[in-house]
Amino acid sequence: MADQLSVVVVDDHPAVRAGVAYWLSSGEPPIRVVADGEDVKAAWLGAGADADVVVLDLHLGGPTPALGDLRRLVEAGRRVVVYSMRADDEIALQCLELGALCYLTKAEGAEHLVPAVRAAAEGRPYTPPSLAGALAGDRSDARPALSAREAEVLVEWFQSESKDFVARRLGISVSTVNSHLERIRIKYAMIGREAPTKAALVARAIQDGLIGVDDL
Amino acid sequence: MVGVTAEEQVFGGVRLALLGVVAIIQLGLGLRPLLTYEYGPGAWPAYGALALVTVACAPWVVRRRPLPVPLVVAGTVTVVTASVVATSSIPPDAHFGPPHWSFGLVSWHLLVLLADRVPWLLGALGAHIGGDLVLFALAGPPDRTEVGAAGVVVLGVTSFQLGLLVLIRVLLRTARQAAEVAAAEERAATRVALAEQWAQDLRAGFAGGLGTTLPLLADLADGVADPRAEETRRRCAFAATQLRRLFAEHDEVPDPLVHEVAACVDVAERRGLAVSLAVSGGAVDVPTDVRRALTAPVAAALSAARERARVSLLRTGDEVRLAVIADAGVPVHAESGQVEVRCDAYGERTRTEARWRTS
Repeated sequence: MADQLSVVVVDDHPAVRAGVAYWLSSGEPPIRVVADGEDVKAAWLGAGADADVVVLDLHLGGPTPALGDLRRLVEAGRRVVVYSMRADDEIALQCLELGALCYLTKAEGAEHLVPAVRAAAEGRPYTPPSLAGALAGDRSDARPALSAREAEVLVEWFQSESKDFVARRLGISVSTVNSHLERIRIKYAMIGREAPTKAALVARAIQDGLIGVDDL
Repeated sequence: MVGVTAEEQVFGGVRLALLGVVAIIQLGLGLRPLLTYEYGPGAWPAYGALALVTVACAPWVVRRRPLPVPLVVAGTVTVVTASVVATSSIPPDAHFGPPHWSFGLVSWHLLVLLADRVPWLLGALGAHIGGDLVLFALAGPPDRTEVGAAGVVVLGVTSFQLGLLVLIRVLLRTARQAAEVAAAEERAATRVALAEQWAQDLRAGFAGGLGTTLPLLADLADGVADPRAEETRRRCAFAATQLRRLFAEHDEVPDPLVHEVAACVDVAERRGLAVSLAVSGGAVDVPTDVRRALTAPVAAALSAARERARVSLLRTGDEVRLAVIADAGVPVHAESGQVEVRCDAYGERTRTEARWRTS
């Protein structure tokens, strides 16, 4: 199946690699893990070099997060989903700044990993609840201005972990919730350093009519 | 009266009485000899000067204010001078006899002026008596009878007035001690009131913290609450959460709010609930009573949850939002105050949120 999504999983724990592979292959349609390894080399060499999405653990044995590896992958145009043990707002925001399409904590399971990988394969962002919390709690000076509704969607999504619940509470549809979340991510993509994934994200949003050229 | 001690008040009264004594003696006992006997030219001016000093002191003495120092100095000099002038103008051989009207009167004046300045008073009295004695000696060598008579008068008048001075000092000291005792009693009463208030606050704090625990224990002991009933189990879960949160409140931790929320979550997890806790945003300072108000709805919502709950704490630049999404249809009773509590039910799920605006 040529059109099946391919993924490379980089994590220093074999159990995590196996678990991620299982979740992805149980997706509908299934996602194929073409390579995995405890080192980021797996994403550069062999079958991993051509995989659509990289699922990257930030803590590969060492105490410092592998932000340099993330930057190099993004600069090479790779679509990266960061899958980390640490629920650290600052690191999550740093990963977005570097151009990761999603930051997931390991407390968030298949229900977020599978859609995150699918979205990343299309060059779209995915915002899981923990990341929504990090964005809602962002107090940095460089943060983009969000509308009241966008801020409320972020907070509700962080609090409830259910888009149905958010949609019911705010009296909007689930797809509107999604487009609010996507627009927030585009606002974030338009600040800070440039990255191919971020440019693609903005371009795609203009194509989809999510934002106008005037918003740039 | 603000700033006036008990001692000053008592002394004001004493001085007023002394002024009355002076006025009566001057008018009653002093005037009669002047009209009866033949005096030198200085007698009437001396009498007038003494009367003037009395009148000058009266405005302060009647209002029970301390005499100004310039008035005291001028008055004392005038009185002592008048004493010398008056004694010089009495008829010969009349020293310390009935015509010597000024001798006793001047001492009373000095008492009015200087009763609160004992060393000055003794000095002025010494000058007055000494002056009179010198003039007595200069008037010609007195015989033994005259010396004896003079001695009796000087001793009688002086010892009476000194005795009065001692009494005044004792009275003032007693007044001061009484005031000190009263102040000490007042301080003790204040301390007692403060201690009672503190104890009451402590009890209220515990009552607030323990909340429903004591009535629940009483109901269980009385057999009113059935441990098998769902409602009793919910009350027990709530009481346990409250107690656990109360213990956590006194721990020294860098982020007390997260610590207390985690304590509530811990109790719920021990009960078999699947709880996910998410914290976002950096720590902010939250006062103890606000933390209590924020976590109380969480404790209530968690104890009502059946299987699953999501607890989230979000801290942004201007507010703290603590929310629980639980699978329980029981709405939590909202407490108002600094913290805004909202509770909505959506089908099987209930959302309880406590918000506190930091700014």
